[in-house]
Amino acid sequence: MDIIHSCFKAQIGEVVLPGDVFRFNVSSVEDDSSVKAEKIICGPGLRRNGDEIQVYKSGILRHKQPNLYWIDSQQKRYVPVKGESVIGIVTAKTGDIFKVDVGSSEQASLSYLAFEGATKRNRPNVQVGDLVYAQFIIANKDMEPELVCIDSCGRANGMGVFGADGLLFKVSLGLVRRLLSPQSEIVKDLEKIFPFEMVVGLNGRVWIKAKTIQQTLIVANLLESCENMTAQQRQALFKRVADGAL
Amino acid sequence: MRETPLSNCERDFLLKSIEAKKRLDGRQTYDYRNIKITFGTDYGCCTVCLGKTRVLAQVSCELVPPKDARPTEGLMFFNLELSPMASPGFQSNRQSELLVTLNRQLERCLRNSRCIDTESLCVISGEKVWQIRVDVHVLNHDGNLMDAASVAAISALSHFKRPEVAIQGRDVTVFSPEERDPVPLSVYHMPICVSFAFFQQGTYLLVDPCEKEEQVMDGLLVIAMNKHREICFIQSSGGIMLLKDQVLRCSKIASVKVSEITELISKALENDKRVRKEGGKFGFAESVAKERITVLTREEAPLEMTDVQATADEIISKADAPPEVVPSPVIVATGTGQVGEGLQSTWGLEDDDDEEEEMSDLTEREKKKDEVMVISDSEEEEVVILNQAGQSKCS
Amino acid sequence: MELDIGSSVLREFGSEQSLLSKPDGSATFMQGDTSVLVGVYGPAEVKVNKEIYDRATLEVLIQPKSGMPSVRERTREQCVRETCEAALLSTLHPRSSLTLVMQVVHDDGSLLACCLNAACTALMDAGLPMSRLFCGVTCAIDAESQIITDPTAQQEKESRALMTFAIDSKEHNVMMSSTKGSFSVKEMQQCIAVSQKASERIFQFYRDSVKRRYSKIL
Repeated sequence: MDIIHSCFKAQIGEVVLPGDVFRFNVSSVEDDSSVKAEKIICGPGLRRNGDEIQVYKSGILRHKQPNLYWIDSQQKRYVPVKGESVIGIVTAKTGDIFKVDVGSSEQASLSYLAFEGATKRNRPNVQVGDLVYAQFIIANKDMEPELVCIDSCGRANGMGVFGADGLLFKVSLGLVRRLLSPQSEIVKDLEKIFPFEMVVGLNGRVWIKAKTIQQTLIVANLLESCENMTAQQRQALFKRVADGAL
Repeated sequence: MRETPLSNCERDFLLKSIEAKKRLDGRQTYDYRNIKITFGTDYGCCTVCLGKTRVLAQVSCELVPPKDARPTEGLMFFNLELSPMASPGFQSNRQSELLVTLNRQLERCLRNSRCIDTESLCVISGEKVWQIRVDVHVLNHDGNLMDAASVAAISALSHFKRPEVAIQGRDVTVFSPEERDPVPLSVYHMPICVSFAFFQQGTYLLVDPCEKEEQVMDGLLVIAMNKHREICFIQSSGGIMLLKDQVLRCSKIASVKVSEITELISKALENDKRVRKEGGKFGFAESVAKERITVLTREEAPLEMTDVQATADEIISKADAPPEVVPSPVIVATGTGQVGEGLQSTWGLEDDDDEEEEMSDLTEREKKKDEVMVISDSEEEEVVILNQAGQSKCS
Repeated sequence: MELDIGSSVLREFGSEQSLLSKPDGSATFMQGDTSVLVGVYGPAEVKVNKEIYDRATLEVLIQPKSGMPSVRERTREQCVRETCEAALLSTLHPRSSLTLVMQVVHDDGSLLACCLNAACTALMDAGLPMSRLFCGVTCAIDAESQIITDPTAQQEKESRALMTFAIDSKEHNVMMSSTKGSFSVKEMQQCIAVSQKASERIFQFYRDSVKRRYSKIL
């Protein structure tokens, strides 16, 4: 096990570029019969090529116990992944499906039955241009992506049409992941300034609603500015806003 | 590629915030975004950043015969391009409505306002005049392309210098910049466009709309004006009814904005002139903000070349000597020449077929020819049938 | 004829990433006064007639500063496209389009090399899957048989031969070459060796610039 991990260890938290490889000495593994066949999981940005692991995206190498490795990169374009929740814009109604723009290379389809409590008779009220918070049930490079607004138990679980008020804007995918990560400080810091509602889609779209239009705009602009800031800079900025005339 | 559609939520929020006199980026109603003007190393090259909107203008010139109607006037040619870089919705070499409108407006703003002295561009009356060409490339679209384009075009024109010429009888000598200092164009005045977006049938007004605001606006009023407060052109689009007062108010705002922008352009021009005179570094490379974390530069430095010679020699010594080529022309028929026979074709895919053909002797080739003839015949017949069908349909 | 390669320099070079808000990735690359701006879109929607069922469709557009794109731009487009195709893992995004739009901002020699470097930086910025990086190096051989790396427009004009190589980051192999003028095999091998040497510095630069970019979220 250690043999495989040792080749990554030095690089964790470091910047890697496409073309970088991680090699492990397979022969030494075979010699040591006590080592069981171990697996590592290559996340986004890593792929296996023969007996080496190849980096195909520039970014920071991240590791999660026990055996998950991936590249954390800041990009703008979204590529659908099964199980991820995104904010989509309904662009068309055709027959029994809605076409939804999620910012990827292809429009996703969303069946009108894939809403909580929807039946053939009881169609959900969805208009073209509405926002939906939905989850990918099919996302595959060779197939049309498909969204649903229910979980496996048929409950909405927070998904569905939303956004009567509030502001939708786009940030980088890296920032969205940072917002959603459990140890993220950004949202906690922001909440101290004033309360607001937020929907974060993994496709880089963020929806914000605060008490007034002014406050919504402030939150949105602060979030956008978090893109390239260290924690200290961010806290200083937030403090200035909180102390300011607002 | 498709643009991201505008959601109902965004539209509602934008209209509501405009009613509440708030803008997405925290500007006031009459505020412009930051304008940054930088000049390139060439004369007549200029980029303008208006917030996130970015355009590049380049002026060039050439000697052409003048128009018959005006034998003593130089020509002005404007070409604005919506590069697909600027927005996924833009396609190269397609005449969209927006492109035509912008080109027409730029022409009206700069040519019809006679801001450039075209008579001074005459070299020999009726024979040779300078044609000044202005290329404006839109690099990033975040609204208000017209204002950015007009600022870029007029700045580039003021920055441009054409080569000096000498006329001896009918001969025209064009001097390179090294031989004689190039001469600037004579710019009478600087017309600058200011755009006003109207919302809710003209109730609300915003200066310098960004892209999102442009998507929800009802109408647009563009006023081109110079710093002497002369209106060069005015254009209202979108079919809104404006009151006389509103147009007057807009023209007042425009005059303030124009004088600010003109001031900025002259400062930028002066600055560029000063740096060039002092022999300092200029151009785009000098204008990038080096403190940004997305920017990195490296100084000029010599390359370490110790083992290069050795490597090259090694490669050559290891390489096989090229095969001796013995030319052996073969005459197949009178008037043709051929080197070698039945050589392997290196043309890729159709390898096999070609080889076969090459191998086959003359009689076989003739046969093939016959076959081909048959095929083409049958095709022709088919065509005839199709035509007949079409005719019968027509009748 | 013995070539002199003692005095090779790369002009001052630099890049800026993510400078445009609309494209998915953008970069400008400057080598001396030569400067190119690139915007990348993708993986995005593809036109039906350009769709390829098992890989992404790559389009490269080069816009000259004045006038319309001509044959010269088309040749450069092809050189850049073939290099990018070799580096990109386009099979990971079938039935989609990758579009590179390049704007020549200033041409002061080594333009093709600058286009290649700008393209690579922009592709990295867009986060597109690449099996390797690449860079472009131009070498000129002047009348005295001296190799000049990264020549200016003036040096290009006075040169006897001009070669541009795309070098890959893994084995430092030549991915693409474009040459003009006449030269011997030995001269070409030397130019390749020089380019390979120069490429190391550019690859190090790529690494430093990405490091700098991610420095705040490490």
